[in-house]
Formats: sequence, C-alpha cells, structure tokens
Amino acid sequence: MSNPASINGGSAVAMVGKDCVAIACDLRLGNQSLGVANNFEKVFQFGHVFLGLTGLATDVITLNETFRFKTNLYKMREERDIEPETFANLVSTSLYEKRFGPYFVGPIVAGINSKTNQPFICSFDSIGCIDYSKDFAVVGTASDQLYGMCEGLYEPNLSPDDLFETISQALLNANDRDALSGWGAAVYIITKDKISKRYLKSRQD
Amino acid sequence: MSVTSAVSSDYNSGVSNVPIEHQFNPYSDNGGTVLGIAGEDFAILAGDTRHTTGYSINSRYEPKVFSVGDELLITANGFAADGDALVKRFRNQLKWYHFDHKKNLTIKSAARFIQHLLYGKRFFPYYVHTIIAGLDEEGKGAVYSFDPVGSYEREQCRAGGGAASLIMPFLDNQVNFKNQMDPDSNGTAKKELKYLKLDEVISLVRDAFSSATERHINVGDGLEILIVTKDGVRTEYYPLKKD
Amino acid sequence: MNHGPYDWGRPSDDTYGAYNHQIAAANNSQFPKMNTQQPIVTGTSVIAVKYQDGIVLAADNLGSYGSLARFSDIERLLPVGDSTIVGISGDISDLQQIERILDDLQVQDSYDMEKPNLKPEHVHEYLSRVFYNRRSKMDPLWNSTIVAGLSSTNELVLKYADLLGVTYSSPAIATGFGAHLAIPLLRRKVETEEDASKLTEEEAVELVRNCMKVLFYRDARSIDKYSLAVISQSRKKIDIHKGLRCEDMKWEFAKHIRGYGAPQL
Repeated sequence: MSNPASINGGSAVAMVGKDCVAIACDLRLGNQSLGVANNFEKVFQFGHVFLGLTGLATDVITLNETFRFKTNLYKMREERDIEPETFANLVSTSLYEKRFGPYFVGPIVAGINSKTNQPFICSFDSIGCIDYSKDFAVVGTASDQLYGMCEGLYEPNLSPDDLFETISQALLNANDRDALSGWGAAVYIITKDKISKRYLKSRQD
Repeated sequence: MSVTSAVSSDYNSGVSNVPIEHQFNPYSDNGGTVLGIAGEDFAILAGDTRHTTGYSINSRYEPKVFSVGDELLITANGFAADGDALVKRFRNQLKWYHFDHKKNLTIKSAARFIQHLLYGKRFFPYYVHTIIAGLDEEGKGAVYSFDPVGSYEREQCRAGGGAASLIMPFLDNQVNFKNQMDPDSNGTAKKELKYLKLDEVISLVRDAFSSATERHINVGDGLEILIVTKDGVRTEYYPLKKD
Repeated sequence: MNHGPYDWGRPSDDTYGAYNHQIAAANNSQFPKMNTQQPIVTGTSVIAVKYQDGIVLAADNLGSYGSLARFSDIERLLPVGDSTIVGISGDISDLQQIERILDDLQVQDSYDMEKPNLKPEHVHEYLSRVFYNRRSKMDPLWNSTIVAGLSSTNELVLKYADLLGVTYSSPAIATGFGAHLAIPLLRRKVETEEDASKLTEEEAVELVRNCMKVLFYRDARSIDKYSLAVISQSRKKIDIHKGLRCEDMKWEFAKHIRGYGAPQL
C-alpha cells in the first residue's frame, strides 16, 4: 500500500441517461485502513460542469482549487461558464503538465452542454488521458467493483429517477466490497434545468 | 555473470556469498473466473472456458468446473497446474472413501477434507480459489468457498478468480438483495430475502459472465454451467465473446 | 581475541586470518543447495493442428546455445509407442532426459502388457505429472511440450504440458514463439473442433509448412530445416517426414533493411 492513489481511498462514478447525467461519490477519507472522516466529498461543481476527483486527498483538494481558479479565469475572459467538453480538455492538459511528477488522482467529468443539450461524461488517468464514454465512467479504489456493477445494471436512456436508482445501487454495492470506499455517498442528478443532490445512507463498516 | 558478491561488514558473521541471481518461479496465472450459487433445492457452479498465460489465449475450451461424483461439483481457479492437482487428489481420495465406507461423501465432509488438502500445503500453497457446490443433508443447495490455504465458509453465493471483484458486488445486490429496500416500506424495511428460481439464477450467471467478459481480458470464449439437483448433474454451455 | 560483538571470543583475525564460516556451516558446499537452472541449449517452437483425419505436428532441427546456432540436426519430435508423438521445445538436455524417461515408460509398458498399450492420453498424463513433481521440488525440466496421437478409442488427442505442470487442450497448439506467430495463422483456419473436421490432410500440411516458413522468417532462433509428423486416424498410422526445408521464400526485402549489422554499400 505504498501506492499514493490508494492511501486515502474513495471512488466515483458517472452515468448518462435520457437528457440527463448522474455523478456520484463516496464520503470516506481514510489513512490506510483507519477511517478519518465521513464527510469528504469528491464531486465538485464548476458552473454546470461536475468533476469527480478520487485518489490522494491532498491532490484532490489542490486540484479542486486549481480548477476553481482556472474556471473563474475562463469565465472572466469568455464571459460565460465553461462547457463539459472544454473542461475535460482543461483537466487533461492540466494533468499532462505534470507528466513526470503527476497528481495521484482519478478524475471524472459529467455535465450537459448548455448549447447542444448533449449529456457528456468522461474519465481520465492520472496523467490526463481522456476516456470518453457513452454509458458510464468509473474511478477510484473500487473501480473494479464499479465496472462489474455498471456492466450489470446499466441500460441506455434511463429517466432521471431510474438513473438515480441505477447509479446509487452501483456505487453502494461496489463500495460495500471495497474496504477503502464507503462511509456514505453523495449523488448528483443533472438535467438541462435542474440539479438535484442527494446523500445516501450506507453501511458504516 | 558474477556468482559471488560480498555483502559483509565488520559486524556481519553470516555467509557473505549471495548466489541467488535468478529464481525459478513455480507459479503462473491461467486466468478465468468462476461462480457458485446455491438455490433452495439446487446449486450451480459456473466457469468460463478460456485458458491463458499472460496475453496468450492457450485454449478457448478448457473446462475447469468438474462433476466428481456424489453430486458434488468442484472448481479450483487460479494456477491451473495446482488446480488440476487439487481436483485430481480430491477425486482419488473420494474413490478411496467409497472403498472404505461404502457411502456417499456429504458436501460438509468434502469441504472439511478440502481444507486439509489445502492446509497440507500451507507453506507452498496451491495458488487457487476453490469453490465446491452440491446439496446438503437436507437436500438444500450448498456452496462452500476456500482461500488458497484452506480457510472456508458455507455461503449462498461466491465468485472466484480474475473477475471476482467485478462479479461479487453484483451478486450481493441481485442474490442477497444487498442495499435494496421494500418498495412499500418507504425506506424503512429491507427487501426480504427469498430463494431464486433456477432460470433466474441462470440468467444472473449469464449476465455476470458477459459483464466480466466485457471488462476483463482473461475472461471469455465460453461459459459452462454445471447444475446439481436431486435428479443429478446437468451441464449447460453458452458462448461468450472471443475478443 | 576478537572483541567485535558478533565474533566475541573467536580467535583474532589479525593473528589467525579471517574465520572460515564454512567449517561450521551445516551445508558444507560453497552455496545453498542449487537445483534451479536455466535453459542452456534450446529448441524453439513446436506447432500442431488438428484436421479431419488426424493431427499435423512440426518442429525444426536447431539446437541454439544462446544466440549461437550450435546444433543443426536435433530431432525434437519423439515417437512414443506406436500411436503417440511428443514434440518438445526448451532445454535440449532436459529433452534427452524426457526421452530416457519415456523410453523407460515404454519398456515398463512392454513388460506389463501383452501388446503395446501406451496411448497418448497416458503419455500426456505421465509427462505432465513428471513436470509438476519436478516443479514442486523446485527442480524443473525446462520444456514446453505437445503430445499428439490416437487414443485407446482411436480418437484424436492433442494436448500441451510444460515445466510448471500446466496442461491444456486445443485444436491448434504452439509453444514458444509459435504461440505468437503461428497460432493466429492456425486459428484463421482452425478456430474450433468443427473447423478442424473440415480441414483436409493436404490443407493441414500446407498450413503447418507455411507456419514453419513464417517462423523461420521472424524467429531468430529457428532454422529452415524441420521435421513434420502426420498422424492419421483412418490409416491408424503416424508418418514422420524428416529434413524438410522451408521453400519458396522471398528474401528481396532483406537488402533494404538498414540500421543493423555491417553497413551495405
């Protein structure tokens, strides 16, 4: 467990539905096997774009601040909020700048393009390689479990309510099979004109 | 190629010659994944039929789930040579059990015996995840699963091998209804446990394996499901993606 | 007297010289027991494929000493009994050890049985257990082998066994480099047992001979001289063709290769 990306633990997942996207994360922050906090959210909002950040907690915090800074500058220069596709490229280039001394993170981006109304999700590796996805994207210490759950539960064109149920079940059951993830969860359901955030009750072991 | 290199200091009295430069590795990973589920009056044990070393597919059909008699199913997934050796030893001892006692081996006894086979090699372990399935003394479905050195437990379901981490949470959710609530209780009561029917179990197993095939490179080619009921053992085969 | 904490009470090195630890060591050799080896003289790939009436098997005649093409007349297809061929790649001295082990097995079989009874399924079982027992003693026989033949029920047997005791069966098998270069070519024709049942003997021989040519082109530890065995179910017979050559090769491309070896002017 000298892998920096799995010291603190944590997972996140994003899914595409019909005219909606969802992004969710667990709330645990740990020091190896010791749980330290149960309110460490890993999904951050920049305008109408959402970023899930798992991995080394210090890098999660640093990158959140970095992207807050960069998206604020973007908004001042462009006089509009950044779109998900653009933000994905910002994440990618920012991570690649540190190609030979990377941030130990697993990011995912989710959002709906405000011009085209197209749902968008993608994930990255720690040095910024973008993995575009039409269905779901997973990152974090429970990524294997999340892949299994999502492959099993996901179907295309789900309504916002059904998408909430699907992503929640995927995250909850994946987290219960990962010692480093869990201790609660937060789920965002994003449609063109509404964003809902819900906390989930989950196993506390 | 120097055979001796001195690792010594004033306070080191040990043998200072270090001849180890290349060590033979007696283990390899032959991929694949397996899955056992117990029903009310049946049990199934399923495995994919792909056999690999590294990135090479050695065979697209090499069965690894076996019916060994006495309505017992067994699989030992991981390092195939150890898996085969374990199953062979079990079969052989089962034959002797029949000679000596003139009766069938119960799954409970089979499980305890396998613990001894595995623990007997505690310091040079069989590199396998072992699962057995069958019917217990009351005719109820039973699945026992083992770690490489013989710790074991009776369970309702268990996934083993390369894609166990992908399949196991799916099984928790769909077989044991983990994290599911009773829709009428407004989130106050858990969904009640019930035994799944055989056709429901088969379709779950097929879903689990096609999901694992999609995301795990060592899983694919074919799915072989062995089903044990009071009427005996039956085998079903379904193709999986070959890529 | 030596006053260092680990050597306290021992004769002083200044007076008597350094203490020879081997004197008291239980293991009186210079090293701990060593039986782990590395292959020395090696044979490269063996390839085999099933067809509608049997199996075609091939292996070249080279024994390599590292990158040196040391021996050019090594026979790596061994007949065992009258219905089995064992193709062996890997260490050649271990190959010869296996040859002796299988010879003993045949002698024992001819003592025990009234007529030859040693079939490929028995040879494969025996060989794979020899491999597994040797690996369990951490003293492996450094080989990958293919066992092919006609079983006691006159059915085709085509199985693999290697130094770890790993075994498997498939309608197309290749060891070593063949697993990477020949298997894709073999599987293009024979992916399943059903495909095999449609392949004629002539097609199978041509397929295997083409694979041997491709292996000679790209495997640097190969030679263009090889043996090819044809096992036939209907004829109940095995033919081993020795000293075959890779034919119809085109080496035009070779003179365009730049960057390695002596510069060509």
